[in-house]
Amino acid sequence: MLKYALRRILYMIPILFGVTVITFLLFNVAAGNPAAMALGNHASAERIAQLERELGLDKPLIYQYFDFVKQVLTFDFGRSWSTKQTISSMILSGVGASLSLTVPSFFITLLITVSISLLLTQFRGSVIDKSVIVVCLAALSISSLVYILFFQYMFGYKVALFPINGWDPSWVGRWEYLTLPIIIFVVIQVGSNMLYYRTIFLDEIFQDYVRTAKAKGLSQKVILFKHVLRNAMVPIITLIVIQMPFLILGSLLLESFFGIPGVGGLVVRAINSSDFPVVKAMTVISSILYMIFQLLSDLLYAVVDPKIQLK
Amino acid sequence: MHSVFETLRKMAKSFGWIVLSSTLILSISCTKKKVSDTDDTIYEIVEQNVKGMDPVYTSDVYTSKAVSQIYETLLEYHHLKRPLVLQPLLAVEMPAASEDGLTHTFKIKPGARFQDDPAFPNGKGREVTATDFIYSWKRLADPANRSDGFWIFDGRIKGLNEWRAAMEKGKANYDTPIEGLVAKDDKTLVVKLTKPYFQLYYVLAHNYSAVVPREAVEKYGKEFLNHPVGTGPYQLENWVRGSKIVMKANPTWHGQTYPTDGDPGDEEKGLLKDAGKALPFAKKLVFYEVTEDQPRWLKFMKGEVDLSTIPKDNFDSAITNGATSAELAKKGIQLLVIKEPDVTYTAFNMADKSIAENINLRRAMSLAIDTDTMIKKFYNGRAISAQSPIPPDVDAYDPDYKNPYKGFDVGKAKEFMKKAGYKEGEGPTIEYSTVSNSTSRQMAEYIQQSMAAIGVKLKVLSTDWPQFMNKIREKKAQVWGVAWLADYPDAENFLQLLYGKNISPGPNGANYVNPEYDSLYEKAALLPPGKERTEIYHKMRDILIKDSPWIPGVHRLGYYLHYSWLHNFKRHSIISNYHKYLRVNPKARAEMKVKL
Repeated sequence: MLKYALRRILYMIPILFGVTVITFLLFNVAAGNPAAMALGNHASAERIAQLERELGLDKPLIYQYFDFVKQVLTFDFGRSWSTKQTISSMILSGVGASLSLTVPSFFITLLITVSISLLLTQFRGSVIDKSVIVVCLAALSISSLVYILFFQYMFGYKVALFPINGWDPSWVGRWEYLTLPIIIFVVIQVGSNMLYYRTIFLDEIFQDYVRTAKAKGLSQKVILFKHVLRNAMVPIITLIVIQMPFLILGSLLLESFFGIPGVGGLVVRAINSSDFPVVKAMTVISSILYMIFQLLSDLLYAVVDPKIQLK
Repeated sequence: MHSVFETLRKMAKSFGWIVLSSTLILSISCTKKKVSDTDDTIYEIVEQNVKGMDPVYTSDVYTSKAVSQIYETLLEYHHLKRPLVLQPLLAVEMPAASEDGLTHTFKIKPGARFQDDPAFPNGKGREVTATDFIYSWKRLADPANRSDGFWIFDGRIKGLNEWRAAMEKGKANYDTPIEGLVAKDDKTLVVKLTKPYFQLYYVLAHNYSAVVPREAVEKYGKEFLNHPVGTGPYQLENWVRGSKIVMKANPTWHGQTYPTDGDPGDEEKGLLKDAGKALPFAKKLVFYEVTEDQPRWLKFMKGEVDLSTIPKDNFDSAITNGATSAELAKKGIQLLVIKEPDVTYTAFNMADKSIAENINLRRAMSLAIDTDTMIKKFYNGRAISAQSPIPPDVDAYDPDYKNPYKGFDVGKAKEFMKKAGYKEGEGPTIEYSTVSNSTSRQMAEYIQQSMAAIGVKLKVLSTDWPQFMNKIREKKAQVWGVAWLADYPDAENFLQLLYGKNISPGPNGANYVNPEYDSLYEKAALLPPGKERTEIYHKMRDILIKDSPWIPGVHRLGYYLHYSWLHNFKRHSIISNYHKYLRVNPKARAEMKVKL
């Protein structure tokens, strides 16, 4: 497994190279003149040329690309053009807020959806099962913005159960502001996840080993938790791992509407203010995260399913 | 089957725990907070995130609002008088100017101190000196700071541009003297100009020119924008970036009193009740950074903030027949409507021959746009039709002026199309660039329909804002719509948008060059405000309207709401440091908030 992991890490190098080339071309070639954008409306040609020199934009593209690669390798993306803060400190301060929202939401969703889906296998084809499918499909087809607008209006303003918007940086105080966004996050995720897990469990429940287990007289509990759940772990892990990088990247809309100073909002602000160094850094970081979690998922497959051999 | 039910029972039990813990979290979070009846804090929302608190980076109104509470300039605008009137802030009095208008002497207010900060010996702030202003303005000019505010002094102060160039080459430092900036003594600053610059006093009320202490800049380095150290009525207490800024009253502030005079009608509106009282009234300011419309509006409707603008989607429910709706009136919400010093316009790229050489086509297009309908459709009626680039409440604005090529007249527009050499319904295809947000796209589509009526085929190209600006700077856009908000209340700020030397990538995106217009612009630049200058501005306006490089759009109206517990609220978009005048009645707020 170690050999496999090392080889996969080596594979990441050309992928990372591809990511840096595409990101670089997108921002330095296709996106126009960053110096002019940074200087705003009053900028003269002379000032733009001056800033281009300062930013190293007058250097040949290949040198600019190497500067960028150096930033990626050292994880020193410099400072934001807009806020003049170091980009690493901006990201670090945002990650905590984003994770406070996404991690609890993610685990609550996982707990609810896996449990209910597992339970639903016992009622396949019944009214309960059909009703849950209809509700999930209906929930899926509603835009997440609608949930946010409705829940914020209803529970933040009308019923006033939660604060409309705000943030407390202390670990104790922040939950007051996070409860409603967490609930919304769960509601948004439940529909799609539930249908996914239900399908997986139903696939498993009709396998021969389940019939054998029943014939052997094993209890329903043992069949469900020891056999079905374990065998369904591979697709479950796939979904979990795909979602992992997005936990760190936060939930863009929820952060924006509820004033949570997370990474999602950071990216939106950077895009809106043409803060290319921040957008560039976030693009590269998300690609790296995605690659890491992909590797992690492959390794986990082997842990949960001995039939899978990593070569 | 029994085992299934057993499993179900256990699962239900686990769910029970989840429900119980959720209820606990809910009950903790739902505890109603008591509304204080002694809290005089002013709560406000900034609609975009504040970038940092350094005067050299105050290009947007949101950052300016935060910065201007902490930092101060030599001059400021009177809180109540309209059109805007300048008054001294860190200056003792309005400056003395030499006869040729080239030398200006400022006396700095004794007792004006920087707030206490670890950057100073023993943490005690010191008095502001003339040298501090010279240092602060050098910072603005320093190419290393990449400030987008250097334009306020660019080419205006003797030796400053040369110092800037030398700094870039590493041949100067902050101790290198500049001919045009002299500290005659600790409290006397002499500014020598390269040529008369009658907008100087206006830019000295702009946050870009605020004074900063060298000690703090050097101590905090690049983090200075997170550690503001100013002379203003407030100092930063706490800032959670992207969420909330809390400021507290600065105990060492030099002090001011509430104005004793204002505009006619101000007294009746209760705006002079606090005349002569010491400022600031509020011990604290809280700015929430809320970028989305719904939470911004709901927070205001819940009384969590004292004042707000009206999001586009909430306008119809908030305003009925030009006044606050019954729902808002019941909450004691009051409305203030002001004419914003801005103009929206459709620009033609005069560097594009097919556009530049066809004046009749431009006139026809101008006549084909129904501005009144656009005001109803896209501005909720919150705008007035612009007849020229000069907005209301600035010198040379003439409310009676009528642009002969403005006013919806398809028949006349078709005549101009004929003169332009096009057969009926066979106009040219023109690219119209716009920003890819829904309102801009809808406006572009409306203009597209209007143009179709006279046979002009408008091809709408939507891009994001940076791409849009880039197209204009690179002279690649053919026709586009954009807006300009005044930096200072002078028509020059709008007329410079069409000055020949400011063509792309400068602010003259239309690339309009007319030697007669340019020479008038240069002549007016040497004149003080007065009849002669106003006449020149009118001539320039007439040249522009005749040449039609722009189709003037609208001047927007600002609708501002505030609760009746907030007093002394009078607004102007150019003024950002108005919070020191605001006073909250905490008891009235506490009583009303219970009902909201």
